Amino acid sequence: PVLPQGWAAEKDFKPIGHLGQANDRNIEPVGHHFLAHARRKRHKRTFSEDDRI
Amino acid sequence: MGTEHDPSQRVAIGISFGNSYSSIGYTTSDGKAEVIANEDGDRQIPSILSYVEGEELHGGQAKVQLVRNAKNTVAYFRDFLGQEFKSIDPTPAHQSAHPLQHESTIAFKIRDTEEEKESEVTVSDITSRHLRRLRTSASNYLGKEVNAAVITVPTNFTDAQKDALNKAAKEAGIEVLQFINEPVAAVLAYDARPDAQLADKILVVADLGGTRSDVAIIASRGGIYTILASVHDYDVTGAKLDQVLVDYFAKEFMKKHKSAGDPREDVRGMAKLKLECEAVKKALSIGTSANFSVESLVGGIDYTATINRTRYDLLGNKLFAAFSRLVLHAVEKAQLDPLDVSEIILAGGNAHTPKVASTIGAAFPETTTLLAPSTSPTAINPSELSVRGAAIQASLIQEFDLEDIEQSTHPMVTVTPHLAHAVGVLCISGEESTGIFHAIIDAETPLPVRRTAIISTPREGGDVLIKLAEGLRHIKVTKPAPKPKAEKAEDDDEDSDEDYSEEEEELREKTWKVGKVLSEAAIRGVKKGGKVEVQISVGADLGVNAIYREVGGKGGVRGIIQGPKASQNGSA
Repeated sequence: PVLPQGWAAEKDFKPIGHLGQANDRNIEPVGHHFLAHARRKRHKRTFSEDDRI
Repeated sequence: MGTEHDPSQRVAIGISFGNSYSSIGYTTSDGKAEVIANEDGDRQIPSILSYVEGEELHGGQAKVQLVRNAKNTVAYFRDFLGQEFKSIDPTPAHQSAHPLQHESTIAFKIRDTEEEKESEVTVSDITSRHLRRLRTSASNYLGKEVNAAVITVPTNFTDAQKDALNKAAKEAGIEVLQFINEPVAAVLAYDARPDAQLADKILVVADLGGTRSDVAIIASRGGIYTILASVHDYDVTGAKLDQVLVDYFAKEFMKKHKSAGDPREDVRGMAKLKLECEAVKKALSIGTSANFSVESLVGGIDYTATINRTRYDLLGNKLFAAFSRLVLHAVEKAQLDPLDVSEIILAGGNAHTPKVASTIGAAFPETTTLLAPSTSPTAINPSELSVRGAAIQASLIQEFDLEDIEQSTHPMVTVTPHLAHAVGVLCISGEESTGIFHAIIDAETPLPVRRTAIISTPREGGDVLIKLAEGLRHIKVTKPAPKPKAEKAEDDDEDSDEDYSEEEEELREKTWKVGKVLSEAAIRGVKKGGKVEVQISVGADLGVNAIYREVGGKGGVRGIIQGPKASQNGSA
């Protein structure tokens, strides 16, 4: 959409709401991408930290 | 450390262990999964053991013994493992050695030695012997002693069943690295192909086996899989398809030979019919006609006949429809619509039947890809899917310590929050408040997640408002325009009136409803026809980190939206 006249916010970003509750589900411990996820979770790394390794 | 095998000394294979058939597979050094044929040349190895004068026969050789030596032949035992006698359905084993109660477990009374004496062999011993034969076949083929495996199991296999299988495997000299779910193995077999493209999609895996059919709905998000729903059915099966042919040929036989009895009432006649009908069914999956031929079917009469596929399709009509209902039921159970499904993977032996594939395909919109040999040239052999998946998983984890694998598969790791709604931006619109929702992260995506998308901006460029919002998938049903009715109003004929309105199908399409707005951001001075790159990361705490940048431009806008939990937990 086009920016309306007079719209302003700090650093041009205005948070309004937040996400609704998530559902807890079991992911399947299978495949290359899961192993990467498990590695991140066990070592408490973020995506970008993981990318660097 | 505490493991039996040094991981570096491991030779691991994938095993798919079914009630009817089992398969073994391995991954080559260049990462391709291959299915191993046993000494008989079978890749689909019947899960059957038979004993003749103390000699153990296995697989295809044991299957033939169902005719002459049914009492000492054990078949369809996988689902008996780790079960109590009262909870099993012994029907599939009627034509072979019957399961009996044996202390807290199940056993078969068979003569498995040279002596004229029957012994009770527990189902776990039978399983060990079966797995040992599979291991030997794989070891012979690979020229290395196989000592570990990833084994596929149905999604409703209990921990007790897995424990029993683990013990039986250990007895057979196999260290089970991991049990993986059959439908997930099938998805992995497809995703591990070099030309496969990872996409966020909803998959249906329909595993149509001999004694059971299992359907699972799986969300695949960036190569991570979540089972949303699963359905198990023990009535709509391949054995029922065989029975359709058994009945057909038995009736034809009796028409021709009026004096001879019903071959279905003769134990051996029935066993011969069953074996031959399964072969006919397989032949009809490949050719358009097949020969049926049994020597001395009943009363010493040989019987040969032919059947074409059209006739078979007609005979099996009801069952094919039941297969498709089963699949739709699973989709419903996941609270989804057929329009949400992007791919259907058909697995299991009966997925080879062209009419099964086309009937299931017809229940879904044209946008859904159906992966079965008769509908897709790139489809993988449905019988080999789960063993290929197991082989791939085995190669991925073979170097890990068992302890590491256990920790990684622990619920602490696998239970993960999944987005309840899609998150995306509103785009392509001149208005400030409305816009078309463009999903960037789909619902049911496990967190944390990071996704990037390129969106187009209003044609004239300038300052752009980017609205981040939740999107709710909505099925829009458009009723056909009631044109014929208006004309019919003068007509008094009621019957023709109804005909018209029923023939036109409703038009169903997937649309998005914009839900809660999460944030607004401004990007100023976008070039004419410029595009904006949007990167959104959602953390496990539901916090959102957004970065917007014009493609080719510098800087950009970034912002953080707090998750809802932080404030709630804080007050508690």
